[in-house]
Amino acid sequence: MARPPLVELIDIEKHFGGVRAVDRVSLDLWPGEVVGVLGHNGAGKSCLMRILSGAMMPSAGEIRVNGTSTVFDSPNDARDAGIETIYQTLALADHLDAAANLFLGRELKTRFGNLDDARMLAEARTVLARLNPNFKNLRDPVSSLSGGQRQVIAIARAIYFDTKILIMDEPTAALGPSETAMVADLIRQLRDEGIGIFLVSHDMHDVFELCDRVVVMNKGRLVGAHAIHEVSKDDVLSLIVKGELPADWSARNLAEAAQ
Amino acid sequence: MAFRPAAMTGARGPAAVARVLPDAAKLHRLSALATLFLLVIGFALASPAFFSVNNGLTILLQTSVIGLLGIGMTMVIITGGIDLSVGSVLALSGVASGMAIKAGVPVAPGMAFGVLVGAACGAVNGLIVTKMRIPPFVATLGMMLMARGLALQLTGAAPISQLGEAFGRLGNGALFRIVEMRPNGFPKVVFPGIPYPAIVLLVVAIAAAYILRRRQIGRHIYATGSNEEAARLSGVRVDRAKLYAYAMSGALAGLAGIVLMSRLVTAQPSEGVMYELDAIAAAVIGGASLSGGVGTVPGTMIGAFIIGILRNGLNMAGVSAFIQQIVIGAVVIAAVWIDHIRNRP
Repeated sequence: MARPPLVELIDIEKHFGGVRAVDRVSLDLWPGEVVGVLGHNGAGKSCLMRILSGAMMPSAGEIRVNGTSTVFDSPNDARDAGIETIYQTLALADHLDAAANLFLGRELKTRFGNLDDARMLAEARTVLARLNPNFKNLRDPVSSLSGGQRQVIAIARAIYFDTKILIMDEPTAALGPSETAMVADLIRQLRDEGIGIFLVSHDMHDVFELCDRVVVMNKGRLVGAHAIHEVSKDDVLSLIVKGELPADWSARNLAEAAQ
Repeated sequence: MAFRPAAMTGARGPAAVARVLPDAAKLHRLSALATLFLLVIGFALASPAFFSVNNGLTILLQTSVIGLLGIGMTMVIITGGIDLSVGSVLALSGVASGMAIKAGVPVAPGMAFGVLVGAACGAVNGLIVTKMRIPPFVATLGMMLMARGLALQLTGAAPISQLGEAFGRLGNGALFRIVEMRPNGFPKVVFPGIPYPAIVLLVVAIAAAYILRRRQIGRHIYATGSNEEAARLSGVRVDRAKLYAYAMSGALAGLAGIVLMSRLVTAQPSEGVMYELDAIAAAVIGGASLSGGVGTVPGTMIGAFIIGILRNGLNMAGVSAFIQQIVIGAVVIAAVWIDHIRNRP
């Protein structure tokens, strides 16, 4: 294939003292692909995603974006490379309003270097309305918004800018059913636009619904990487819990084809 | 859920509380303003001399120092920190400026040097907080002792006097002062003018409000105090925002020191003890939250005037200095208590 993957993680390691939180993990992501990242709490998936989003430096290993080796010193470096992250905690500044949060760290400015609040508000109104038409109270501090609205701000912040790779850490954990469906639709839409998505999730249903591929981490190691139609939910559970596939495993799609 | 009774009653869900929040901030400001007016009326009734142009100017002069300190303090408090060193930095800056002028430096550069010394102290505070990861309380407590010690050591604990008339102009002069000579040879003050310290305060307040509201660094200062981790993940350089706030606090403490020493026409190494508490009280009364993310310059101005008028009015009413301490102490506790009540979910 002529084009390199959007991003390649090669032999990434992260140590905390003697603990190997991430142990020689290699992973890639292609345009228009949704990759589910699964594992127990503490399996290292959050750590790996933080390394990719520039919030954490790897102890060893290489990150290649579009085939070029890069080093992310800060979240801004990763964002400049088109990698956006929606954190499980949403990472919102509670006392600021929706527009200020949307543009936090990337404020729009007037010619004189002042904050262009009018333009930020207008832009925020447009992008938020696309995600949730009922979003009206943009001037309120985000601490006063509902969980769904806060989630929408976090998502809007990730897709407003020129995004190529999107990391979503438990994006539906705090949402109700209709909002979850909205996020699922959005993921499909973004995938169709050619954005590559890492979906960190515990929800097996979401993963099988949305992902093209699953990777499973266990104790810092990558124990499985499969196309979604190769495996069943039980297979994935086995990988998560035991770190290996069931002994009598054969690819699900091949088995079905043989019958 | 036992520790969140509000959520248990269900009468005020999080959304309902939240809708009240922005109004609550305004309400706080209004109540502070109301307190200010009540104080003025009360003291005016208690002492006829209180409500006069001359005393008004005195209050303006006294408040300008608290106000300058309070503005810097507000920036630091918004980042979620605290600066206990401003009183000592004020003294060190005044002494540094006085020594420079004694050594032959002209007045204006000498004063600028004092402000720079203050900014440097503030920057050291900021570096200790961000690089060494020492809690702001401890870091600035250390600076409080070091700056005071240095000021006393440099001067041998003796005030530097005879700094010349030019040194006293900033603290004692006034704009638009109109004096006419009467036939008997004595001057008569027609209009006492606007004291320079008040003008300095106004200019600094407008500049600080502009920085906090309209500039990116101001937005980042709020974001850092609101949720430091979120700000960092959003690409805000939180260390830079904090460093900026502490350096500004130090510089404004330096400026306040110059204004104060100029008023006394003497550089006093023992000036400004406990001034940090007035500054903190001004910021908190004005609505700044010690947990960070909240605070405004206009609010702090109101808070500074409340403290200034309280001190002046108690003086005018002949209340002893010891009783004044008790009153101010109670006001500080009350202000922080109100802050706590506001932040309760």
